[in-house]
Amino acid sequence: MELLVTNLAHGFGVALTLENLMFALLGAFIGTAIGVLPGIGPVATISLLLPITFGMSATTAIIMLAGIYYGAQYGGSTTAILLNLPGEVSSVVTTLEGYKMARNGRAGAALTISAVGSFFAGTFATILVAASGPVLTQVALSFGPADYFSLMMLGLIISAVLAQGSVIKSIGMVVLGVALGLVGTDVQTGQQRFTFGVPEMSDGIGFVPVAMGMFGIAEIILNLERPESRSVLTTKVGSLFLTRAETKRAIAPVLRGTLIGSALGILPGGGASLSAFGSYMLERKVSRFKHEFGSGAIEGVAGPEAANNAAAQTSFIPLLTLGIPSNAVMALMVGALIIQGIQPGPRMVEAQPDLFWGLICSMWIGNLMLLVINLPMIGMWVKLLEVPYRHMYPSILIFCAIGVYSLNNNVFDVYLTVAFGLFGYLCSKLRMEPAPMLIGFVLGPMMEEHLRRAMLLSRGDPAVFIERPISATLLAIGAIALGAMLLPNLRHKKEEALSG
Amino acid sequence: MKINAKDVASGLLLILVAAAGLWLNQDHTLGSARRMGPGYMPMLVFWIQMGLGAIVLGIGLFNGPDPLDRWAWRELTLILASLCVFALLLERGGLFLSIAATVAVAALADRTHRPLGVLGLIIFLIALCWFVFIRELDIRVSIWPTFF
Repeated sequence: MELLVTNLAHGFGVALTLENLMFALLGAFIGTAIGVLPGIGPVATISLLLPITFGMSATTAIIMLAGIYYGAQYGGSTTAILLNLPGEVSSVVTTLEGYKMARNGRAGAALTISAVGSFFAGTFATILVAASGPVLTQVALSFGPADYFSLMMLGLIISAVLAQGSVIKSIGMVVLGVALGLVGTDVQTGQQRFTFGVPEMSDGIGFVPVAMGMFGIAEIILNLERPESRSVLTTKVGSLFLTRAETKRAIAPVLRGTLIGSALGILPGGGASLSAFGSYMLERKVSRFKHEFGSGAIEGVAGPEAANNAAAQTSFIPLLTLGIPSNAVMALMVGALIIQGIQPGPRMVEAQPDLFWGLICSMWIGNLMLLVINLPMIGMWVKLLEVPYRHMYPSILIFCAIGVYSLNNNVFDVYLTVAFGLFGYLCSKLRMEPAPMLIGFVLGPMMEEHLRRAMLLSRGDPAVFIERPISATLLAIGAIALGAMLLPNLRHKKEEALSG
Repeated sequence: MKINAKDVASGLLLILVAAAGLWLNQDHTLGSARRMGPGYMPMLVFWIQMGLGAIVLGIGLFNGPDPLDRWAWRELTLILASLCVFALLLERGGLFLSIAATVAVAALADRTHRPLGVLGLIIFLIALCWFVFIRELDIRVSIWPTFF
């Protein structure tokens, strides 16, 4: 406990330097902006801004990128409440009750409870990350190569199981991602694999072109083919203050949402949208005001909004302690760390205390900033919604293009982005989920390394994966998760939960 | 038989990529399970992928009907073309010209654009990119054409 206080004090020392404060604010600001705007999400934005972070220190870079991610959770609710349009996937649920509250003239109250609830959830989740980080790290340090391999296997399975749509297709996408990760020079023998003799591919396919193509470019084309459905803002924000009755009704849902979000956020592939929906379902079941659901119940805003923000914070736990990304955004964070020369993993807490504790403290500060950015400045964000998409998408394209180019000062990466843009569009037309693929792509090379090491140690005996207790447990959990999805009952529940 | 065309196509895609991968993998030494060569992991991955592709394909033959979606060829071609234009022009034509050309091509993808609006957008983006990428980040790229 005392150690925790010392560590947090150290973290605040890092997070409160002028530079880190500025970039946390910038990240929170950008995050809110892209959260408010439908059609551009955190994955595309973070891959867009990765090249900009090269010149920063690793801590500053991660602080800013993290700010974008949780900032987007705040911003997404604004659009959901005022326009009945989810600014982010995770705020789909907020449209259900939030927009109804706005129609009842309580838009201000809905915005306040979502911001305050998110802040509370963010605070709780940040403490959870700080407390669990060192403990989990200790556990992870006793992992051998076989255990690591099984852990990654479990991560991949769960990310596929929790992805939208068919589980078997998602597993296919994971494997496809692992296959893509094979491209490049084999680390142990130096042999070129699947590079087609192209010198630019000898370092492997960069994940920025992949992420930007599949999430940025493909998304633009998909948005363009749908006719613009952005309705004109007619609702007034009204008073931001909650009535006493509303406050009383909102407290318990915020608490429950925080717990649900914190738990589900840790799961690979779980993340913000699943926990928001989970919280909504729970509130609808337990509320004393069941009859109000569907016509603007404050519980239906308070719970999910707290849940999605808590999940956004706790999804950092697997990354910071095990080095394993739990969703597409975290996969990008791995990339950002590797570019900075830091190998994510259990040694990070000790080797990079500035980064670990600085990030945690900055997450809390960032949440505080977001409260200020979102509530008093709501008018500005509403204005942002008046920018038409036809002006936004060419700007996104240009930033993508320059960003990808400046990675290696090479136009080859731009062509690669074009190719993945096309592939991303194809995948979306075939209902193949890009997120599991990105996670497989990031984890693939690490899995190969651990697999080879484990097999070398066991003299080629694959039984090592079930003989080591940790590895066996992890694989068993994976098998159960997979088996559970074969039960039609559970599968339908999941589909219901994810389709919102 | 109710064919789910999306799943069938997904399955075929997985199988084809896996087959191509296995074919290319013939060049790499496999090694043994104990000392894996560069070809061992690809072999495992592509065989698993082929198996999954076959399952997806097999299920897709029965869990339909779900026809293929229409593709927005116009938007798709124009957006991807605009990025190619950027890549083609950047090194010889410089940053400003490639921004202008990219935005002009991309703007064709949305029919509500007006020529004056596009011009304004181009000027705005050139100014913004100059500030962000040249002045602040100083990426190594020429800004004016070097054709001559």
